[in-house]
Amino acid sequence: MVDFLQNWVYLTGAMALVGIGLYIVLTNTNIFRIIVGLNIIDSGTNLFIVTIAWHPKSVMPIYTATNNLVVNGHVISADPLPQSLVLTAIVIGLGTTALALAIAVKIYQKYGTLDVRKIKEGDR
Amino acid sequence: MKTYNLAALLVGVPLLMAFSIPLFGFISKQLAKWITVLTLGFEFFFGLYIFLWHIYPFNVIMGNWLPPFGENLYIGPFATVLIILISFVGLMISIYNLWSANHGDVVHFALLFLMFVGGSIGLVSTGDIFNIFIFMEITGISSFALAAYGPERRALGGAFKYLVVSSIGSTLYLFGVLLIYTQLGTLNIAEIAARISQTTSGLLTFAGILLVAGLAVEAELFPFNGWVPDTYTGAVNPVSATLSGIGSVGGVYVLFRILMTVFGKDGNFVSTYGNIDLMALVAILGSATVVIGELSALVQKNVKKMLAYSSMAQMGLVAIGFSIGSKMGSYAGVFQLVNHSIAKAMMFLILGIIVSFGIGEHIEDMKGLWYKSPFLTVTFTIGSLSLLGLPLFGGFWSKFALVDASIQRGGWYDFVIAIVLFASVVEAFYYLRIVGYMFTSKPTSTDKIKVSISPAVPIVAFSILIIAIGVFPQIVGGISWNAAHELTDKMGGYVLNVIPTIVGH
Repeated sequence: MVDFLQNWVYLTGAMALVGIGLYIVLTNTNIFRIIVGLNIIDSGTNLFIVTIAWHPKSVMPIYTATNNLVVNGHVISADPLPQSLVLTAIVIGLGTTALALAIAVKIYQKYGTLDVRKIKEGDR
Repeated sequence: MKTYNLAALLVGVPLLMAFSIPLFGFISKQLAKWITVLTLGFEFFFGLYIFLWHIYPFNVIMGNWLPPFGENLYIGPFATVLIILISFVGLMISIYNLWSANHGDVVHFALLFLMFVGGSIGLVSTGDIFNIFIFMEITGISSFALAAYGPERRALGGAFKYLVVSSIGSTLYLFGVLLIYTQLGTLNIAEIAARISQTTSGLLTFAGILLVAGLAVEAELFPFNGWVPDTYTGAVNPVSATLSGIGSVGGVYVLFRILMTVFGKDGNFVSTYGNIDLMALVAILGSATVVIGELSALVQKNVKKMLAYSSMAQMGLVAIGFSIGSKMGSYAGVFQLVNHSIAKAMMFLILGIIVSFGIGEHIEDMKGLWYKSPFLTVTFTIGSLSLLGLPLFGGFWSKFALVDASIQRGGWYDFVIAIVLFASVVEAFYYLRIVGYMFTSKPTSTDKIKVSISPAVPIVAFSILIIAIGVFPQIVGGISWNAAHELTDKMGGYVLNVIPTIVGH
């Protein structure tokens, strides 16, 4: 396996995005901001998936006459599988966000507010 | 390795029918509802065929790519019992929906319901750790929308809470999967299971904690189950029955497939690779879930909320059963899962009928139900007695096996015996309080409740099944025992059935 820890800049970035997203979800009371936080978590995950497939000296994972995927018995191509995984993860994130926004619109129509605390009071 | 590719229909048919339901909906709304019944009937009889003709364990190979390279479905005894359970509960709820779903967007409700059940069946049969994530999201997205369905506005808050918690949970699960992928370069469950000892111990422990945290959301374990009461109370009753009868089954299946088959280290009692024993961690979480769930259910005055907290506590008992790690413990876990799904789904459906006749959900409103409807009172009593584990009802055998397994394990697990008995006493208190109200108090009004045939069929079927399991436990017992064998013996029970040539490390 490619030693993915070489990409520490991107890994740190991915972790930071997930951390920022979690912080937004946990501290905000506005439903729209919570959805934005979820989206940032998704972006962090996607960045992480792309990062583990790549390292600075890798070549594209397509076999041609000039593009050698294996040099001296070591695989130097980027790993193509995580890139197909990230497509799936992006689409799923899009679906979740769309549904969350639809529910948020419904909540605004029924309660007249997007504040989580006021919604909780409204149910009592 | 046995292959039986026709079983791909188990996953394909419900998803195909789900997305063609809007077409049937153009013709008539009633037809859309009948399509769910027919599709889930097909699933149920296909599951019974696999079970009764002993076709399991087998693989479904996609496009002739053999397992470590291609994607496969593995249907062993554990998957078989869960497919039958999920499709049976789904079939019953869809028959109930013929009567109950009659306002709002009925066609899309049927679509989402079928997608949820089909996704759950895919979840328990897939052999690829990333496909588990995809099926989790299929069931997840359809269940958020189902939970938001209904005339009441409290449904929206519950659904949104569920959405936030569940999507963070599945992101954590994805992180765990990818950390394992960086170590082994494969996503096939069988290959990961055989080579799990080649990983770095620290990274594996971190991945395991992420996986447990992500899956505990669906499995309703303690720190991650804050969504349960709000979502179950807000959703309409058939949806609450679906979530507790089908949704939690999938969550528990994935949690213990990962912990026992993927991370498991064989021995007298299964433990996990890595720096900490994740089975012990889940045992602690499960015990905390039981105690907190039962005590919260005890103080509730709203029957639906009480059922929600009780559902949480029962899932804790299931998790404790599996986490004992012996064959007896897994047997108790599978058996308890079956009993809980049947009984809890039935009780939510009964509550749905009661509420539809203008009687409230409050515990005082149950007074004198016997004089209004003896049928609903007797079936509610059967469900309660099964959940609290009285002999001659299904729940007795699973709780008995749970105590038996903890005695065999000994040591710290002696504590589990106390927890099971404590749970039974508390459940007896709050369920028998409702049952007592139903039988003894005189009602204020004596309007009879007339239950029509379509909601009565599932309730009768569920109660007959509960008593049948109570009298003949071998109906479920035999296949639960095979499922326990599959979980505790990971090489012989799972890995070699999928990839016969692999060598364990």
